[in-house]
Amino acid sequence: MFSKILIANRGEIALRILRACRTMGIEAVVAYSEADRDSLAVQLADEAICIGPSDARRSYLSVPAIISAAVVTGCDAIHPGYGFLSEDETFAEVVRAHDLTFIGPPPEVLDRFASKEGTRRLLGGYGLPTIPGSVGMLRDDEHALAEADRIGYPVLIKPSAGGGGKGMRMVRTPRELESALRVCRSEAKSAFGDDSLYLEKWLDDTRHVEVQVAVDRYGHGVQFGERDCSVQRRHQKILEEGPTTALSAEARAELCERAIHAVVAAGYENVGTLEFLVDAEGKAHFIEINCRIQVEHAVTEMLTGIDLVAMQIRIAAGEPLGMTQADVQPRGHAIEFRINAEDPAHDFRPGAGVVERYHAPGGPGIRMDSHLFPGYEVPPFYDSLLGKLIAWGPDRATAIERGRAALDELVVDGIVTNLEIHKAIISSETFLEGRMTTNLLDRVGSAAFLAAAART
Amino acid sequence: MPQDRDTGPDAARATAHAGIERLIDTLLPSLIAKLATLNVGELEVREGDWHVRLRHPTVASQDLGRRATDGSGQRAHAGHEAVGAPAPARAPASGVATGAKIAVSNGTVPALSPVGPGRASDGPPGREVGPGVAASHGPIATSPAVGIFQPGSAAVAGARVKAGERLGAVDMLGIPQDVVAPADGIVTSIMVEGGTAVEYGQELVGIEATAGSEAR
Repeated sequence: MFSKILIANRGEIALRILRACRTMGIEAVVAYSEADRDSLAVQLADEAICIGPSDARRSYLSVPAIISAAVVTGCDAIHPGYGFLSEDETFAEVVRAHDLTFIGPPPEVLDRFASKEGTRRLLGGYGLPTIPGSVGMLRDDEHALAEADRIGYPVLIKPSAGGGGKGMRMVRTPRELESALRVCRSEAKSAFGDDSLYLEKWLDDTRHVEVQVAVDRYGHGVQFGERDCSVQRRHQKILEEGPTTALSAEARAELCERAIHAVVAAGYENVGTLEFLVDAEGKAHFIEINCRIQVEHAVTEMLTGIDLVAMQIRIAAGEPLGMTQADVQPRGHAIEFRINAEDPAHDFRPGAGVVERYHAPGGPGIRMDSHLFPGYEVPPFYDSLLGKLIAWGPDRATAIERGRAALDELVVDGIVTNLEIHKAIISSETFLEGRMTTNLLDRVGSAAFLAAAART
Repeated sequence: MPQDRDTGPDAARATAHAGIERLIDTLLPSLIAKLATLNVGELEVREGDWHVRLRHPTVASQDLGRRATDGSGQRAHAGHEAVGAPAPARAPASGVATGAKIAVSNGTVPALSPVGPGRASDGPPGREVGPGVAASHGPIATSPAVGIFQPGSAAVAGARVKAGERLGAVDMLGIPQDVVAPADGIVTSIMVEGGTAVEYGQELVGIEATAGSEAR
């Protein structure tokens, strides 16, 4: 096992990793940018080291700065969290070249799953139903138009790298495709440093369902059930829950079974998530794999009682899973609300500022993963996630009721948050009946959705 | 100590100065002591036009200090430096006078934990403290990278240096990153021993600026 881990991330996930290290008796060093000097992770860490200025390219995305920090502080492993360098196979390679361990899949595994389009074909070969899409990356506009014709409109343009909805556009005509390609290329380039794009068949009224898996170095894998991330705003997840209401118990079990079978066969290692779109007929289509811990991992932790971050660390250290599928017994229902510094009144533009008051809710089944504290200054340089409120209940109705009470109890004063949209979502009939699709908010627009909720 | 606006700028400045002196000598130490014994996060005292606000490094982190990275104690941040630390501690609190903003800043200020364990964050929101930008006193050459500090030949007390002159390097994975003088002046102190691990932005070499030459 590792003796000291460098946490190369910030915000709530830095804190989450720190807590996992604490429970495992591993020392942790928090690497931070100048903008995060006063952050909670830095304050609570055994050690902290400033790696660069607020600009992420010179701190959280700087491979030499992070590795140098790990070396001079005597760490033997680096946890990248999510985002930033968490799925960068070059980074993982450089980490290994410095006799350190990357906490995540080994570089060659990351490399094998690096291309979303290639992964779709790879896992399709192991029996996963995959979404129709372009073969290979789009070479140019002409290639894109030909592939879109073959797949059939509407199509979704997706960047090969990254996530979070950046560089993604749905287009319904060749003309829309041509103009959107330019925008997507430049968005993908600036967000991920890689402008390669591919196409996916766009399915209307889909649900987003993902399966959490873990595979050790010895080819033993288990799945931890699925999460439903259908509630999105412009391809960004804002509320996740488990189990999904989109599939029957049998269909869920079958999907999870096929997912773990395919990734084990394809040689995946460490924790990961397989994302699927479920169409109106209840058919699942694999879209991509996330080779990292995800924001919404807490939903699965609440359902299974398993510490996924600790598991990630143990697998990276070469330990066997130490459990079988029979040991995974999900119980009840969990819902996660992403609390973001976003202004619902102004098209959810991200905000920053000083948290004047902060109160985290409590009670049975309530978990709050957040790096906020009164007096904390939310820097404007990074993503807008302030924390995650997770509500568990023995059944969905109880989880919703507990979630509602907890949202009412949560206090974040001084900065604007997206709390209102969560209250609106869990009061909407579509959500309560478990019928929401990924366009729940975007079909009417988030502002109209909020206004409608206010009227009822 | 209220400012007397009727007595001209010089007199006003002298009055303000006296106010600052009094703050540092009498008020601040007692406030710090008080804050340490109370279970509150913030303390504000008003007297005339002055008010002083002290903030704890959050209640949650009261007992959670950070160890210096290299174990030698040299890397402690200004915020956690013990009284009498060799490097001039940054001003831990700001006194705000109505009408004019005056940062209380003086090398003799007793140290207390500012907001958080890092350097005092007494700047305006969003301000970035970049390398070579010292908050309040003589220019200080700071680390351009995280790595091992190697002082150069110009990094000796008493040496006369020019703005931009190389004072040493921080070795980041074998690649030296130059530490440069932020201003013309005379080297007053080498704050970190050669061969020590330093973080980005860490203060390395103190300089007394030659009049009017500060590169800002």
